[in-house]
Amino acid sequence: MLAERLRSIVGERWIVEGKDARLFGFDAFTAYKGEPSFVVLPGSEEEVRRVVTLLYQSKTPFVFRGSGTSLSGSSVCVCGEVMVSLSRLNRVYRVEALEIEVGAGIANALVTKHAPKNAFYAPDPSSYTVCSIGGNVCHDSGGIHVPKYGPTFNSVVKLRVLHLDGAIEEVGGTSYFNGASVFIGSEGTLGCVLSATLRLFPKPEASRTVLGAFYDLKTAALAVSKIYEAGVFPAALEMMDRTSIEVVEKSEYSAGYPKCEALLLVECDGFLPQVEEEVKRVVSLFKELGAAVFVPKNSEENSRFWRGRKGAFPAMGVISPAYLTLDAVISRESLPDVLLRIREIGEKHGVVIANVFHAADGNLHPLIPYDPERFDSLKKALIASREITKVALEHGGVLSGEHGIGIEKASLLEEFYTKEELSVMKRIKREFDPHFLLNPYKLFCEKKPSAQNEVLKLLYEVE
Amino acid sequence: MDLQKAKELAKRCVHCGFCLEVCPTYVVTRSEVHSPRGRIAAVSLGFDSVGIDTCVFCRRCEEACPSGVEFGKLMSFTRKPNLLELSVHRALENPKELYHTLLLAKRFSFLPWSKRIAEFVPEPQEPFEYEDEGASLNLFAGCLAPVLFQSSVKKALQFLKAKHKVRLINGCCGLAHYSEGERERAYLLAKELEKRSKGGVVVSLPSNCSAFIKGYGEFGLSVHCYDFCEYLVSFDLPKVELTLTVHDPCHSKIAGLSVYTREVLRKMGVQIVEMDDPSFECGAGGGYFVKQTELSDAILSEKTKKLQATGCETVVSNNFACSLALRRAGFKTLHVADLLR
Repeated sequence: MLAERLRSIVGERWIVEGKDARLFGFDAFTAYKGEPSFVVLPGSEEEVRRVVTLLYQSKTPFVFRGSGTSLSGSSVCVCGEVMVSLSRLNRVYRVEALEIEVGAGIANALVTKHAPKNAFYAPDPSSYTVCSIGGNVCHDSGGIHVPKYGPTFNSVVKLRVLHLDGAIEEVGGTSYFNGASVFIGSEGTLGCVLSATLRLFPKPEASRTVLGAFYDLKTAALAVSKIYEAGVFPAALEMMDRTSIEVVEKSEYSAGYPKCEALLLVECDGFLPQVEEEVKRVVSLFKELGAAVFVPKNSEENSRFWRGRKGAFPAMGVISPAYLTLDAVISRESLPDVLLRIREIGEKHGVVIANVFHAADGNLHPLIPYDPERFDSLKKALIASREITKVALEHGGVLSGEHGIGIEKASLLEEFYTKEELSVMKRIKREFDPHFLLNPYKLFCEKKPSAQNEVLKLLYEVE
Repeated sequence: MDLQKAKELAKRCVHCGFCLEVCPTYVVTRSEVHSPRGRIAAVSLGFDSVGIDTCVFCRRCEEACPSGVEFGKLMSFTRKPNLLELSVHRALENPKELYHTLLLAKRFSFLPWSKRIAEFVPEPQEPFEYEDEGASLNLFAGCLAPVLFQSSVKKALQFLKAKHKVRLINGCCGLAHYSEGERERAYLLAKELEKRSKGGVVVSLPSNCSAFIKGYGEFGLSVHCYDFCEYLVSFDLPKVELTLTVHDPCHSKIAGLSVYTREVLRKMGVQIVEMDDPSFECGAGGGYFVKQTELSDAILSEKTKKLQATGCETVVSNNFACSLALRRAGFKTLHVADLLR
């Protein structure tokens, strides 16, 4: 019935039913595969409006999806929700100096591609070649250039959003009561982001990379704060530990990294004299700390160094068919402590943990591989991941820097937020979505999913 | 079909989705069903999805995959050819038969599939044979060129004849068969080519065939194969005053052959205006344009936008199936061999 009515809106071919709908049942969060009851792929804002109004009127729970690259499982249909894919809203509407307006379904990388020659779109999650702008907005996605340019939040000027009753509203573009800020990081639980007007930055005149290879983890972690103390403001500052270096070297992304306990990849950008001075300071600091320093000899080597870092997540596929990723954020000062605690947790549970992360903003990414065919292996990985997150919180950290709460951290919300904070957020949620139809099993999770299987029980801590 | 082997290969996928935007059918449908990730998931979950049939088999997803999923191999284990595909394969195996088939297709162009073929192919010519006595070098012309692009074959032959004793081999490398699941038959064709080349070097004119022949190791065979441009690059070449753009046939790009094409053109003094993403599919894909007409047209129209943005009227395409599609889009196509004197 509902499917028939949706079909009349989008046309026969843009409804996916039956077993093919299962192909939309998962994203890059490997622990759980759901199954949408069916998938709708509207091709225009008007079609999205009609689809959403219909779903709302019939009180059908549903989930929005972009490219399905979420690492927290936020685009998974947990209990047969309807999936609304926004991948076809991928047009560029307007380009004007340092602003660009794009549809929610466009891939992040295509924004820079369509930008004026001297401008670029700064947020660049590792999946930037495919992840959608709508998904980026809904998770406040970061990437390696956050230290200097900020996460998606800093690059959103305005959003065109669709409310559940079918009203379309332009939010943002103001410096007080900025409506756009409510939608940034909302994980598709408040409404639909149809399009975004994004801020572009001027392309820097010069950009240089320094790689420091450290012989112990603690010194590498210490170096992160010291870089700032030396008056350097890097565009990117990434850390990889020994395990993650070894994994990358075994993969297609092999970068020829030196063998070491931890490496720091620093990128300085800006005007040439300033960049040269910053590089000089970083090199001498690293040497003082006993690190081996490598400055790429040419642009080929430079891109190889960064390609290795960008491929570090999916490269885990080389050693294991599945992995969990966390993204708690801690202060730079607590990096040495927390990294050592992560190592201890790995040893305690007998799991390999690879650390590859945005060091400058203290955004951890411990990668924990597991065997998806063995439940006990997933369980062990999940227990270790919860312990790590709790350690981060003990050190004054926050739950998620850029991947979102999704399924992965739904049961950890109360560890971090107070009852009052949660109740305020739930009140906001209720204003937008009174019947909890939008992405119902994520974030606040008004009701937890029924325990259909062991994995769900574990993820949501239900019996 | 060997689904167990396909499932084994699918295990490496971590669903990161890095393959989506390089996949021509995902780009034109924006649907997971027609994406590499969706196809791999269908194999893992063990059901037959419509997406398995819509894959063009360009293997660009393999290049984008950080986990090293061998997607081409996976598809060849998964697919089972239907009657239309089997007929296309048989026709491609023997250029003389292909000639007669295409003549018929041109004459009976009121039938849907023959109408489609007639729209794509120029007037077929009867293939010719050539072999020097004591030939030491083989020119592999593939299936389409002997019938549809004879002047390119003649130019290439003329160039090689001046340096070696040459044997011309018209026939099939097995790529079409392999891509649509006829692995055994592909192996037999590879074996046949090995036999016909009599242990001599094979210079392959269609660049996707070059890439496939270079991969015969998968069958436990070894044919010493050069792509035509790879072979050409070490010789003195005539100067040509031309401005054009270059299409990189998908498989030859993955095999690293695009660099030879560009090096040869540069040596000839040709001005290259690069298009965006030159290895983006053309939509021809062996027999793909016959069986998936709508998707094939949508892909070709994406490709056309990229070509038009260069402002060039001429495009170098070293793979003849691609040339058919690019000509249909209104461009003049050249194989590098056409630029030889």
